[in-house]
Amino acid sequence: MTVDLPHPTVGPLQRMAPEPMRLILNWGRRYSLWVFNFGLACCAIEFIASSMSRHDFIRLGVIPFAPGPRQADLMVVSGTVTDKMAPAVKRLYEQMPEPKYVISFGACSNSGGPYWDSYCVTKGVDQIVPVDVYVPGCPPRPEALLQGILRLQQKIAAESLADRYTPHAPVGPIETVPVLSTPTDLLRPDGR
Amino acid sequence: MASVLPRILHAGRLAGVTTQRTVGVGAGADLVGSAEGLATQDMVLNIGPQHPSTHGVLRLRITLDGERIIDAEPVVGYMHRGAEKLFEVRDYRQIIVLANRHDWLSAFANELGVVLAAERMLGMEVPVRAVWARTLLAEMNRVLNHLMFLGSYPLEVGAITPVFYAFRERETIQAVMEEVSGGRMHYMFNRVGGLKEELPAGWTGRARTAIHDVRRRLPDIENLIMGNEIFRARTKGVGVLSQELVHAYGVSGPIARASGVDLDLRRDEPYLAYGELDVPVVTRADGDCLARFQCLMSQVKVSLDLADQCLDRLTTLPPGPINTRLPKVLKVPEGSTYAWTENPLGLNGYYLVSRGEKTPWRLKLRSASFNNIQVLSELLPGTLVADMVAILGSMFFVVGDIDK
Amino acid sequence: MAFPGSGLAKGLAVTLRTMTRRSVTAQYPDVKPELPPRSRGVIALMEENCTVCMLCARECPDWCIYIDSHKETIPAPPGGRERARNVLDRFAIDFSLCMYCGICIEVCPFDALFWTPEFEYAELDIRDMTHEKGRLGEWMATVPAPPADDPHGARAKEVDAARKSADRAEATDAASPDAAKPDAAPSGGDEPAVDT
Repeated sequence: MTVDLPHPTVGPLQRMAPEPMRLILNWGRRYSLWVFNFGLACCAIEFIASSMSRHDFIRLGVIPFAPGPRQADLMVVSGTVTDKMAPAVKRLYEQMPEPKYVISFGACSNSGGPYWDSYCVTKGVDQIVPVDVYVPGCPPRPEALLQGILRLQQKIAAESLADRYTPHAPVGPIETVPVLSTPTDLLRPDGR
Repeated sequence: MASVLPRILHAGRLAGVTTQRTVGVGAGADLVGSAEGLATQDMVLNIGPQHPSTHGVLRLRITLDGERIIDAEPVVGYMHRGAEKLFEVRDYRQIIVLANRHDWLSAFANELGVVLAAERMLGMEVPVRAVWARTLLAEMNRVLNHLMFLGSYPLEVGAITPVFYAFRERETIQAVMEEVSGGRMHYMFNRVGGLKEELPAGWTGRARTAIHDVRRRLPDIENLIMGNEIFRARTKGVGVLSQELVHAYGVSGPIARASGVDLDLRRDEPYLAYGELDVPVVTRADGDCLARFQCLMSQVKVSLDLADQCLDRLTTLPPGPINTRLPKVLKVPEGSTYAWTENPLGLNGYYLVSRGEKTPWRLKLRSASFNNIQVLSELLPGTLVADMVAILGSMFFVVGDIDK
Repeated sequence: MAFPGSGLAKGLAVTLRTMTRRSVTAQYPDVKPELPPRSRGVIALMEENCTVCMLCARECPDWCIYIDSHKETIPAPPGGRERARNVLDRFAIDFSLCMYCGICIEVCPFDALFWTPEFEYAELDIRDMTHEKGRLGEWMATVPAPPADDPHGARAKEVDAARKSADRAEATDAASPDAAKPDAAPSGGDEPAVDT
């Protein structure tokens, strides 16, 4: 059912881009973060609250209208990642085009939080996808998300994608999580 | 076409065409007599677990015949966190922390059930100030919860504006809730025997202002959406839930009351201070999506009024403590009890079995959304796929409340 | 419904009316939010008050407090006995795990832990989320005075007792203004503000 399309990657030109070019690229990336909200639990409500008129993160260039992960630059994982949900998180993360960033929002996605000793909760989303910024709180207040976004923007401004995406660089997800089943069976038609 | 479809549907059912991607040519087409154009193929559609049109990670497996849903199965468990098991290794104060997280929109009401169960087992008398303050906070929490759905439901059927207004009101009430408890969503303000600490000075006045502001601005949401022709067209007469189904599935809360089931624990089995309050129960007879939404809207007004009455009482009560002194190690005597409360989304019950330890032996959680969502498998078949989101959204569920 | 479209018009009227009003947006990075003193942002540690009783670590619902200590003996003063004392080596709270319930602060018998409304500590590395005692101590500067209690509430008897002893201490140490300083830490939950 699935069609194998070439995965969108950062091209080789990126690596050779001169410094001023990189600056401009980073500036552009920094202020047009199309965000994909992986809303899982309580924190998702605070995420919504920060996208609403009171906190309004569009001011910071975070655009919450990404139709799906394939059009998004930033994934905000807000809420408890359960072992049943983890394959979907990983799958959707992999669908995002590079460069992609992940904010782990709240205690549950940072490390399992209140449910870390539960039998069915993934102990932090960083076990399945690489996380750029961790926002503490249970749930964090909307301003904390805004601060996390500012932090991420600082990081983007300073980074060089060549370093981020060179094959030997120690980024990228931890390959296998033993408790998970394969990510593919999630979206199989029968689904079980 | 419209009259033909149910017949195909019926024939398809008879032929057992419910499995995925089964060609329904023979069964349906033969009956109707004209083969071309009517041959349909059943399609299985997965809505969720991560889907823009659902809030949270509920997954629906829907079998479609053309545009008509012939089978719907809610697949739950994507948010299952094993809270009941975790309750068993935590003492009663620690349980409150976890208990308010399963239905994250009604944290205060969830805490309440746990402490009511523990207090009943202990035979503890709660100070009258605490009772009224709890009632007040529970009602404010109900407003917060309903405002969320008053915003998100129009969003799901395509009206994006009301959610901004709803969140403006939510922020207003959250500010006073944060002032009193320190948390915006998870208050952690209940304790066995009362509340955590005394209300801050002047808080009652600020709470009254917040309630007043919300009441004053509520017509904005109402004007935005209630008369909207598009909204009415999408919700009126859609997804009618009959009283029989309500009873069969144990549906409760505003959804049941929108179908004319007149049950509200606040009036029928008063806990807290509800016995002394006159709780008007909002019901509707239609049982469609619009009725459910109207129910929610009216409940917000009722809750605001109740909160005002609580504030009146709270300011006239004689000075007294707001909590009781507990032993260093709180052990609940052996036995069992069932404490249920009228949560914003429906009946929420805790079945507490204690063996005299400082942790419960078992704390079974009856959550409202779990029952409410089961009825989808009866409600969705026969409706159009375009109405699916309207019906799903009108069931007002919180995924954590389904999966616990 | 009077005429078709009147519902839509009514909705648009609300939008128009709102357009003429001030926006409710808080300009966060430029304007810091005003948070109530009870707001649960981050936990501050007053190291001097900690006696390593381990109550907080034990009561924490998800056990995110790490405490290391060792015993030290204070040599006997003339005519006395030598005493053993716990010395805090490490006090760390893992804020990636913390569920912000406040039980540790509630159970602390010596008022070594406080809530502060600060929330700006998002990190790029999860290891930095574990705040060691140095960092926890830095938060102490941001601890707000607790709000006064509602006059309708009955004061806990500890508060009265603390008040009385504080008054006594004040009377005896009237000469040295520094003596009042440790009492500025709220011992009864609301003590400094009681008299407002």
